[in-house]
Amino acid sequence: TRSKSTRFDLKTYWTTLIADINHKLNEAVPVRYPELIYESMRYSVLADGAKRASPVMCVAACELFGGDRLAAFPTACALEMVHAASLIHDDLPCMDDDPSRRGQPSNHTVYGEDMAILAGDALFPLGFQHIVSNTPSDLVPEARLLRVITEIARTVGSTGMAAGQFLDLEGGPNAVEFVQEKKFGEMGECSAVCGGLLAGAKDEEVDRLRRYGRAVGVLYQVVDDILEEKKNGKDENEKKEKKGKSYVKVYGVEKAIEVAEKLRSQAKQELDGFEKYGDGVVPLHSFVDYAVDRSFSL
Amino acid sequence: EQKEESGKPSFNFKTYMVEKAESVNRALDAAVSLKDPITIHEAMRYSLLAGGKRVRPVLCVAACELVGGSESLAMPAACAVEMIHTMSLIHDDLPCMDNDDLRRGKPTNHKVFGEDVAVLAGDALLSFAFEHLAVSTVGVEPSRIVRAVEELARSIGSEGLVAGQVVDIHSEGLSDVGLEHLEYIHLHKTAALLECAVVLGSILGGGSDSEIEKLRTFARYIGLLFQVVDDILDVTKSSQELGKTAGKDLVADKVTYPKLMGIEKSKEFAEKLNRDAQEQLVGFDQEKAAPLIALANYIAYRQN
Repeated sequence: TRSKSTRFDLKTYWTTLIADINHKLNEAVPVRYPELIYESMRYSVLADGAKRASPVMCVAACELFGGDRLAAFPTACALEMVHAASLIHDDLPCMDDDPSRRGQPSNHTVYGEDMAILAGDALFPLGFQHIVSNTPSDLVPEARLLRVITEIARTVGSTGMAAGQFLDLEGGPNAVEFVQEKKFGEMGECSAVCGGLLAGAKDEEVDRLRRYGRAVGVLYQVVDDILEEKKNGKDENEKKEKKGKSYVKVYGVEKAIEVAEKLRSQAKQELDGFEKYGDGVVPLHSFVDYAVDRSFSL
Repeated sequence: EQKEESGKPSFNFKTYMVEKAESVNRALDAAVSLKDPITIHEAMRYSLLAGGKRVRPVLCVAACELVGGSESLAMPAACAVEMIHTMSLIHDDLPCMDNDDLRRGKPTNHKVFGEDVAVLAGDALLSFAFEHLAVSTVGVEPSRIVRAVEELARSIGSEGLVAGQVVDIHSEGLSDVGLEHLEYIHLHKTAALLECAVVLGSILGGGSDSEIEKLRTFARYIGLLFQVVDDILDVTKSSQELGKTAGKDLVADKVTYPKLMGIEKSKEFAEKLNRDAQEQLVGFDQEKAAPLIALANYIAYRQN
């Protein structure tokens, strides 16, 4: 297959970008007066062990079309900011009531509910501000920036991730596909699309990235659910009950594996449309394989 | 009851406000339609269309027209500013923040839709404000829209609204809060968004840098003025007259201008801010400046 022939080293590619992104995020959210809000924002944005999957996908999509990664970094950072904002709000007692996130106390556990709400409210606009203030104007025309802003705003908004969170809380029957698409697919879609937009991809290429990113976003989550199930066994799963829906919970492991396979081939099929870009498409392929294989840990 | 001495006699402020507020309301109604999931959009519309005086959007449109733009150039920005204003009210009213049951004379968003939906509706309004500004602004060059996006973002985040709210929360019960500190809170909590409204209007209307900066200073003064008057009304008016809980600042042990300088001095300060604000408008065409002059007077002399 492609990944064998090109000997592309995803781990190096990814870890290098994680270091870059972390460095830029650290600069993008400084501590100034009033310190507490900045500390609260930094706590979530700079949490240890973040995989930075969205920013890395954004950079990879931008580079596919010959875009400079310097053009993509501000948007890549913004994706992490708005994502962190969503997660901070999702964890609140009145929402998922989650005292921890990625093994650390969640934002409101440390800073209180009021600061957690405000940290989220500050991170959303900071994301937009970061894009328009820091994207090199010689690399990206302003009209493209406006499309990126629009894409991100729609993704986190009332028909995107907020909709997913709402339907998740509401817990309607058989909504798992929809909830997963909204909560996880949207972010993957947005990350890939923004990379393409920044590099000036054509509309049909952006559409292809859209379908690719959405499939990969959901694929990650489905595989996470499967791995979780395998690791914990049935008893442990009880405590996951109120925390969002999973394919595994609704359909069982067998069916979830089937779904994962389908998403994998969907994502790959979309990438076939980028053949003319040669090896540039390899990083995007490797994300799909990694989502399924988890061949290394980050 | 409206003071008209500084406006041209031909300018009817009441009619102006009613007409502008109506077009803002129509634009808001059209911008946020009822779609799936219905509940979130209902919650967004519940607070966004709850009336309100539309001071911010009207300021935005008036500033746009003052520098030679038409209403339509600024309307998406005007709506965006009102969406942000509404969003901040929804989140401020939450139990873990100010814990308010009443807003604009109606039950607060979380009282009707629950806290979870109120948080999401606020978040959705916040992001939609940016989407609307970016997508629906027509007839303005992208560089000016980008500048507007940056201005909007800066005024609501940790350098703006949120900063004011954070410092405000941590000032409750403090005994040594001085004027400078109080001014920080209000410049961020209240003035930032009024400033943003005026600056967005002047950017999108095609204003020059010096016009934009003059209007920014104007807006900063009336932003502070807005809060001083708010503080005065909180101690002098009833809940019914205000359409929100009166005397709240006293109960919450909040620092206010009347508390720091007394009612009379606060009123004098308000007068001075209004004068300083209007001085910024001297270099503009006075006929075109009439709405902003009247708006400043309205903010100074309003009764609720």
